Amino acid sequence: MNWTSAIKAIAAALSAAMLAPALAQDSPVRIGYAIARTGPWSAGAQVSQEPNYIMWAEQVNAAGGLSVKGKKRKVELIGFDDRSEAETMVRTYEKLMTSDKVDLILPPWGTGANFAVMPLVQKHGYPMLAPTATGRKLLEMKNPYFFALLQQPDRMMDALAEYLAARSIKTVAFIHVDELFGLEQASALEKSLKAKNIQIIEKKSYPLGVKDLQPVLNDIKAKNPDAFISLSYPPDTFLVTGQAKAIGFNPKVFYAAVGTAFPVYRDKMGPMAEGVMGLGTWNPKMSPQAKAYFDAHVARWKKEPDRWASAHAWAGLQILQQSVEKVGLDRKALRDHIASAEFDTVIGKIRFRNGENISTPGVVSQWSGGEFEVVWPPQNATGPSLFPKPAWK
Amino acid sequence: MTFWIELVATGLITGGIYALVALGLNLQYGLMRVMNISHGEFLMLGAYLTWLAHTVFGVDPVAFLPVVAILLFVLGLAVYRLCFQRIVRTSPSVEVIEARSLLIGFGLMYLVQNAAYLAWGADMRGYSYLSDPVQIAGARFAGNSLLAFGFAMVASLSMLALLRWTMLGKAVRAMMQSPAGAQLVGIDTRVLHPAVFGLGLALAGVAGALLSMIYEITPGMGEPYTVTALIVITLGGLGSAAGCLAGGLLLGLVEAFGMHFTSPSLKMLLSYGVFIGVLLARPKGLFAR
Repeated sequence: MNWTSAIKAIAAALSAAMLAPALAQDSPVRIGYAIARTGPWSAGAQVSQEPNYIMWAEQVNAAGGLSVKGKKRKVELIGFDDRSEAETMVRTYEKLMTSDKVDLILPPWGTGANFAVMPLVQKHGYPMLAPTATGRKLLEMKNPYFFALLQQPDRMMDALAEYLAARSIKTVAFIHVDELFGLEQASALEKSLKAKNIQIIEKKSYPLGVKDLQPVLNDIKAKNPDAFISLSYPPDTFLVTGQAKAIGFNPKVFYAAVGTAFPVYRDKMGPMAEGVMGLGTWNPKMSPQAKAYFDAHVARWKKEPDRWASAHAWAGLQILQQSVEKVGLDRKALRDHIASAEFDTVIGKIRFRNGENISTPGVVSQWSGGEFEVVWPPQNATGPSLFPKPAWK
Repeated sequence: MTFWIELVATGLITGGIYALVALGLNLQYGLMRVMNISHGEFLMLGAYLTWLAHTVFGVDPVAFLPVVAILLFVLGLAVYRLCFQRIVRTSPSVEVIEARSLLIGFGLMYLVQNAAYLAWGADMRGYSYLSDPVQIAGARFAGNSLLAFGFAMVASLSMLALLRWTMLGKAVRAMMQSPAGAQLVGIDTRVLHPAVFGLGLALAGVAGALLSMIYEITPGMGEPYTVTALIVITLGGLGSAAGCLAGGLLLGLVEAFGMHFTSPSLKMLLSYGVFIGVLLARPKGLFAR
């Protein structure tokens, strides 16, 4: 025996001795994701999504770990900042899936980002439960590994039209942001209103990043619609609220789509928020489980979760956890389980059909006394609806 | 009639906000050719300081304006000493100052923006202040927008008067036209140069403070404002206080009328159309000499 092989033998024996205890203790379940911590997407991502990932991993680990077919293993999150860049985001997921070979992934933030990463998800077979992606276009891709937790635009707009019809609203004026989200919501809204025989007396689009909409609001005010609907993103949602108050435009229904569910809307608008409606799903009054989630979030982050996508993000993590417990980390089996089973989550029972969450109903929510109350459908309502909307305060 | 007053006034107020955003950069780039591309980040800093003072310590945002101005002025002196002084002293011409300061500005932009992400997180923030409507000639506007407009007018006009009629203004202009000549006639450019830079940052901070009363704020809010500011000062003529105001107001009016007569979605097309039109007719801007 020469020296080299002797050293090799000793090294092998030593490393085996060192590895043995490590193997006895199970390696952690590695879960990777890329999400915006900086840049324009980060305001949404850091309100609705990443805080939930971190809090979930902490809770799971504090309880001994993630149960993989009954065997507890710690969770290790591998998260990167995608800097709100689609290329960075896609590259990061590719690295996570191919070179890091993570066990599972969590989705990025936003419809556009989810759309961009979908081919990778399918190619490498990672189930993805998306809490901030909405749009029929995504579902039409028929990606077997993609699951949309949010309600689709038609579902939300149908609920809104039902609410308006129930209150005998005859005329609507609406504006929408000129972008995939706004366009899809707008066409869904037009269809839903038509089905209820509600007349659209004005519709206008506007670009992202607009700083003034007062001339448009003045024109709409002159036409005196029963309801005003703004299919807007957070900055524009804040803008139309402030400017509608400034010009004294106070229709019976004032609805602004994204951002109304954020606690910062109430903080920024103050008493102005009272009676404003928007996209939402839940609030802590909905169920004891929702209350527990809300309280844990406030305790951990010193801030409230938003009343729409946050709880969907949490529900997605719950579904993942329940599925891993049942079928383990085989990703094909996981996908099949998610696609077929029914899950108990913070926002109620969830079942998917062709990637769409078909259990969570379309909801209309409204700020009332400091809470974003669910006011439609009636069987899900957490409080009475303020109708007509009270005067701006 | 009320309708026209309303439309014109809406345009003017939005235009006033654009002018407000551009004031500080007009001093730094317009007058001194220090291409401070991180202008919007200091505006963001002013907004966050005001938000913090108001929500945590309950300070009235308007009363806090002078504090923001002083803080940002001192910060401006420090930034100038650390980053720009060497460039200004060693560059052979203003063109070189422009190119070199651009690179530093980019660095500062990332530094300040990411510091804000670290300190306050990516969440949107905001508070409600002076949102009640004020009636003027039958048209109604939010109090906070009127305040921003008023400040933009007063600041622009004071700047105009200062540069045109005071010794200090003459000294600043002399320093820009010929740094060596200015020193020869006894102007202390070593004091004046950093002071004007600091004043630019102070104005950016105050603009941010005023904007935080109207819009929500995020650490990334600054970049679009830098672009707006660059368009406004180029439109008006670099370094011209009257041009800055006129450029801002013109953009605001074009937007308001465009929004009414065409569609809000054409906003960009119209604004840039006017921008290109002005530059074709007067390549150095409306008020360039």
